[in-house]
Amino acid sequence: MGTTLTELILDRAHNAVVSMDERGVVTYWNPSAERAFGIGRDQAIGREVADLIIPDELRETHRSGLARFLSDGTGPVLNRRIELTAIKGDGSEFPVEMTITALPDDERWTFHAFVQDVSERVASEREQRRLVDELQRALHGSQRRFDAIVGSLTDPVTVRDRSDRIVYANRAALEHLGFESTDELAGTPPADIMADYIVHSEDGAAVAMDSIPSVRLLRGEQPESLLIRTVHRRTGVLRWNLLKSAPVLDQTGAVEATITIIEDVTERQRAERLSAFLAQAGDVLASSLDYAQTLRNVAQLAVPDIADWCAVGLVDADGDHIQVAVAHVDPDRLRLAEQLREYEPEHPDPERGLGLVFATGQRVLYPDVTDEVLAAAAVDDRHLELLRAVGFRSVAIVPMRIGARILGAMTLVSAESGRVLDEFDCDLAEQVASRAAVAIENARLYSERSMIAHTLQQSLLPDELPEISGYELAAMYLPAIAHSEVGGDFYDAWEVGGEWMLIVGDVTGKGVQAAALTSLVRHTIRAASEYERSPAALLSIADRILKKQRATSICTALCMRIESTRAVLAVGGHPLPVQISEAGATPVGDHGPLLGGFASPRWTNHSLELAPGTALVAYTDGITDAVGADGERYGTTRLLDTLTHLRNRSAAGLIDGLTSALKDFQTGPPADDTAALVLRRARATHTGASDSENMATRVREATTR
Amino acid sequence: VIRPTNFEITSVRQGRECILSITGELDMNTVASLAEQVGDAVESGSTAVTLDLRGLTFMDSSGLRMLIEVNDQSRREGWQLALTPPTEEAAAMVLQVTGADMELPFKPSGQS
Repeated sequence: MGTTLTELILDRAHNAVVSMDERGVVTYWNPSAERAFGIGRDQAIGREVADLIIPDELRETHRSGLARFLSDGTGPVLNRRIELTAIKGDGSEFPVEMTITALPDDERWTFHAFVQDVSERVASEREQRRLVDELQRALHGSQRRFDAIVGSLTDPVTVRDRSDRIVYANRAALEHLGFESTDELAGTPPADIMADYIVHSEDGAAVAMDSIPSVRLLRGEQPESLLIRTVHRRTGVLRWNLLKSAPVLDQTGAVEATITIIEDVTERQRAERLSAFLAQAGDVLASSLDYAQTLRNVAQLAVPDIADWCAVGLVDADGDHIQVAVAHVDPDRLRLAEQLREYEPEHPDPERGLGLVFATGQRVLYPDVTDEVLAAAAVDDRHLELLRAVGFRSVAIVPMRIGARILGAMTLVSAESGRVLDEFDCDLAEQVASRAAVAIENARLYSERSMIAHTLQQSLLPDELPEISGYELAAMYLPAIAHSEVGGDFYDAWEVGGEWMLIVGDVTGKGVQAAALTSLVRHTIRAASEYERSPAALLSIADRILKKQRATSICTALCMRIESTRAVLAVGGHPLPVQISEAGATPVGDHGPLLGGFASPRWTNHSLELAPGTALVAYTDGITDAVGADGERYGTTRLLDTLTHLRNRSAAGLIDGLTSALKDFQTGPPADDTAALVLRRARATHTGASDSENMATRVREATTR
Repeated sequence: VIRPTNFEITSVRQGRECILSITGELDMNTVASLAEQVGDAVESGSTAVTLDLRGLTFMDSSGLRMLIEVNDQSRREGWQLALTPPTEEAAAMVLQVTGADMELPFKPSGQS
């Protein structure tokens, strides 16, 4: 063998590997060979292969074959898979499959045999052959004998003859197919038996007679087993079956009949589908705080695998029903639901259906919805017509509840699929419904809290942005979700003596204190601007006021004055505003200290001319500190890139573009308050100022929550 | 949304001196532990506290606010505060932008 690396690999091979030299003596014997033959490496190496593992009757063939190869190089057994019998150390024989390779090694040949024990496979093949033999004999012989073999099997077994007729079915198969006797079954045309069922493959495609394995075998094909989902039309029972077929050959070797074993895998399939559905539902429920959207997603998930229709509704304090979502795979069918909604009573009858679920918190299941039931439920003829059009087969309604409190209900309807809903479906629906209930509760609690914060926050922001002649103005404000508290970002814009003042700031801290400080800074600067126009001086005034506060009160702010086509700005510890022109996006201004934190700070004014189409973007660090998927921050470089791409947009367009870029980047909701204000000098003088104002207001409404 | 950060404060005391080395991100999720460590140091008798920020990778406005508050506290309570500037640009930038690099008692870099 020589190379140790090869040996290392072969030592770990699953196959038994045996090497021999030109004399037929073992030179290598791996651990798998030790196991397969029951002979240790030490006992094997140095012994002749023929004596060791080759049965008596094959020894001579082996020796002469070896001699022939060495003399004339012919080796009919080399490099291909051969099957033969080998003997173990204890003298017992067993079937093996092996491949022998000859390799020159130092001008001498070494032979390597890769051996696999195939006893199990051979045994099962033999068993199969025996069964088929028996069947063949039985088909020609007595029915009784055949029945003795397969009659007692719990798996349904059927035999189909060349005319596609089922000529034999064991007891389990008769029960499965709903027939009293084999004769009755044999007398029924195969297409009729099939027609009793709605049959789909695993991927939801309809299955025709021609694709059934037993029929394909009769056509001379070699089909694999087929997993089908059947719903019996009359009983509505859903089953998952695995059809496995084998041919029965006649004396000439032609397929005379096929034998099929129908394995009922319903439980397994349902369990698998259940866990897949619940996993998906978990993702869907965790994905959004907007519970209406969440419920729509959940309803969507249930169709068509669990039911044909799924509706989710909530119940309010008065017991009134509010439908939130209805799902069906076919949008045309959804229009039916729309029409039916007109007939829904606001306050459902507590004696039945939805009302009963709301009243008791218990599921209700109507496995068979008959026409009488529909007629009784219908208000008028048109209503009945609509109800009939749905084609109700089964209805299940389960509560969405947390403990004893009922938040709503989930309704599953089975219609065109024809299947009957059962307790299992209810269990499944209830599991999803209870998770949905928790999601709704969280969303509600959150929205209540955020409503308070939102109201307070709104009082800190201008009601609407003013109209600045010759400019567009737009803003966005995204409050931090994580804390659902009032944040400290603010902006404002107002007119003083024919000029405009703009501020954007960030008070560090959260909650009511931050709100109070925000208000203090904003109104201080607003009031002071009546007599002081220098942005640097205004920051200085706010700084002095902040330092008079008892607790440490610090704030970053950007203050800007717009006089005609010029902007004068001062920055106090705040990110520099970004100027966007044809050339791209660049920060402008000079950094100055933040407000309220330091003993003797100084600020300077920076002045710049705004050419038509030029925009200035003032923002808070919520943008640059936003965290992306890999933990990276959005950062200044990315912001400048984004703004460069957006350079030809209007002020509102810039805010839109920036907001969506940020949402794309961010993995979760904003961790910190995020605000931006865009001022853009109009390109043409005739730009309607009222348009820009409307736009600005719209954008603010769209981005605040 | 709380992200896992490798935020860590290690405390070394030598007599009445305490050096708190901060690594990772100082933001709204981690400022509280810094305040706590400073409080512990002062309460247990340290009269000189150094905040070593060389390992700081990020600081937001909450972090900055905390540094300013600690500075105010040291003046009020009469103990000595020193800071070692961060080496990471993202963190150093915040101090520069806000003017905190000039106002807070930073040691010249290279000294800890």
